[in-house]
Amino acid sequence: MKLKLFLATAISLVFATHVHAGKIRVVATLTDLADLTRNVGGEFVEVRSLATGIEDTHGVPMKPSFVPMLNRADLVVLVGFDCEHAFLPALLEASKNPRILVGKPGYVDCSKGVSPVDVPKSTDHSEGDVHPYGNPHYMLDPVLAESAVKTICDALVAAAPDHAADFVKNRDAYLAKLDAKISEWETALAPYKGTKFVSYHEHWPYFAARFGLVYYGTIELKPGVDPTPRHIENLIASMKADHIPLVVREPQFPEKVPALIAEKTGAKLVKLPIMPGGVPNSETYIAEMDYIVNTIATALKK
Amino acid sequence: MNVAQAQETNASASAELRRDEVEQLQQQLRQMQEKFEQREAEDHAAIAALQKQVELLAQKQVVVTNVVVGSEPTNTVSPGLFKELSDKVDNVVEAQKKTLPGEFNPALGFVGELVSSYHSQGANQTGSDRPGGFDFWARSLELNASASVDPFAKAWIVANASADATTGESTFGIEEAALQTTSLPGNLTLTAGRFFGEFGKLANIHDHELPFVNRPLVLDQYIGGESRSDGAQLNWLVPTEQYVSLTAGLGNNFGGDSPNPNNPGNYRPVGGLNFWGRASSYFDLTDNWQLEAGVSGLWNPKTQDRGGALVQPNGVSTMTEKERRLAGVDWKISYVPLRDNQFNSFTWGTEILFSDDNFLFDPNGLPGSGDEYFGDVNSLGLYSYVSYKWSRQWSAGFLFDYVQSAQNHDNETVAYSPFVTFALSHWNQLRLQYTHTDRSGSSGLRPDDALYLQWTWIIGAHSHGWTQR
Repeated sequence: MKLKLFLATAISLVFATHVHAGKIRVVATLTDLADLTRNVGGEFVEVRSLATGIEDTHGVPMKPSFVPMLNRADLVVLVGFDCEHAFLPALLEASKNPRILVGKPGYVDCSKGVSPVDVPKSTDHSEGDVHPYGNPHYMLDPVLAESAVKTICDALVAAAPDHAADFVKNRDAYLAKLDAKISEWETALAPYKGTKFVSYHEHWPYFAARFGLVYYGTIELKPGVDPTPRHIENLIASMKADHIPLVVREPQFPEKVPALIAEKTGAKLVKLPIMPGGVPNSETYIAEMDYIVNTIATALKK
Repeated sequence: MNVAQAQETNASASAELRRDEVEQLQQQLRQMQEKFEQREAEDHAAIAALQKQVELLAQKQVVVTNVVVGSEPTNTVSPGLFKELSDKVDNVVEAQKKTLPGEFNPALGFVGELVSSYHSQGANQTGSDRPGGFDFWARSLELNASASVDPFAKAWIVANASADATTGESTFGIEEAALQTTSLPGNLTLTAGRFFGEFGKLANIHDHELPFVNRPLVLDQYIGGESRSDGAQLNWLVPTEQYVSLTAGLGNNFGGDSPNPNNPGNYRPVGGLNFWGRASSYFDLTDNWQLEAGVSGLWNPKTQDRGGALVQPNGVSTMTEKERRLAGVDWKISYVPLRDNQFNSFTWGTEILFSDDNFLFDPNGLPGSGDEYFGDVNSLGLYSYVSYKWSRQWSAGFLFDYVQSAQNHDNETVAYSPFVTFALSHWNQLRLQYTHTDRSGSSGLRPDDALYLQWTWIIGAHSHGWTQR
């Protein structure tokens, strides 16, 4: 009897991963994708995010506590373009969930349909920690975030066709809301078209292109490589010559060097989140973009 | 009917005729008007459709302009521009039509490691296979290749050409060549071939991945350095909210530097195999503090005289290993701040191993003389280290080693190793380490001071694996 009970328990544990009740279990790598998924999936999804919002998009800690979460996931929603290369492949391997492996329907790569910028001509590491498929920070362009919304919706529809109408309705409602906000953000930044700025890491080319700003360069020497004293010196000199008015620091990078550059060049220093939750009052995608646009507009206001 | 009446009748008929004509004309006019309005509506619809098409094309044009950051978006699409774009796309498509004989080649990477050192004592007084004084040692020259085998498995190979201490030649060896399933049901993963078996935290990673220069003494002496085995290993991720990983394996041997396989050439019973297992779990103490802990065990019931008869310091008596038993407990507490872990972190890692080997003792060193007896030797060893990172490039730490000889627990070795690491990038790292080693007099060895400068570099494919986290 005891043996039977033991075997029954063991078998149920082994196959427990394939049993789930009702909701589609989604794990998003970053908080922006989690927010978009919640908006589209509504009551039919249970969304968890690996990042809390304050992490570097490339430096989410590889916690073993993520493994059971991914093990039971129906979908993993990711930025793609190798954005999560430092943590997601190993976590997927450890999670032993064939449903969410690369190429499977549960692997939802939101870069689908996005035209990447800054695709390197060479993937040689002399250019730093380059992303072979191009810059992965397209979520800071709200129009490209709309593309992610559509990709997420398609994946949810495929996962639960019975709720297709609900997902499409939620998607359209959210896109309408986002469209209205995009117009608002474009209006807010319209006076600053052509304004050049620098940032610590190359997070902002998509954002700059969308709102007519000009991305001048990075404080990092190369992606993932800290600036050398000579690079800082050269950057300060060229920023002075070109009258660059704005230095952006992403919260996960140290303030010391950006503050020094801002001080030496007379540029305004602003701290901008790169995903929802990166700074207080930026817990949703729209709130995050509101924060970014308002902070830049306020900093550049004369 | 008179003339007047007739005229009146004619006039009335004529008026009626005109009315009919007028009505007919009016009807024709209405029909024409309706037709006109219908056509006008159709034309409007056609115009609207065309306008929509133009808008769609213009939107596509705006997206295309995103490719060139900084260029001004435009809403006009000329036929010439379309042709130009179309030609470019065709060229790109044509360029993809290549014959690539190496298309299915695996991802390749190379790791180089040079350990430059100064030892105050010679090899005969340190027990090391490296000379005393000044030494340059190309310790790891590793070529890694990995790829999927098919939809059900992946495979990898690590070939290492480490420089031989005696000849100076790089002897080429296969450190790992294994296959691992990727889609077994029930949260199971099977690994087979030559691989590093799971035992503790630092036995199953390569030298260049260690957080300090040398593998801890207890792992070198009790396991044989890297936990290499030719065999198979099954891992089960327990399907609970709590992370629990269980591993069991068996193989010919366990330990890269161990004499292996056991007693080659003879018949090997099941008891001649090595069996090992590990259970580990993990706890988020806070968002930023983590605890990972595990227990491990290794059992080789019949070592079949692994390593042969070991001559004791008196030069006469011998001891021959008959059974190998090893247990370990490990934990790692880490501070990994969510916000800036690339610039700031702290780790405290410890591993304690208990060895309980069974030996055949031969006091007079003459096999079959009748004085032989079996006995167990219990011994203990541990290492504990802390490491603190204060910038993306700089970190420093301290390693403490303590180990009792697995053959004689009175023979103890203690070592203290402060170290500092400078990582120019992910792929280029320098480490400076000082090690003071104290040894028991019974070992016949002397205390030693050593200074190491380790330079590690990586080219090609490089992944952040689960084991190295």
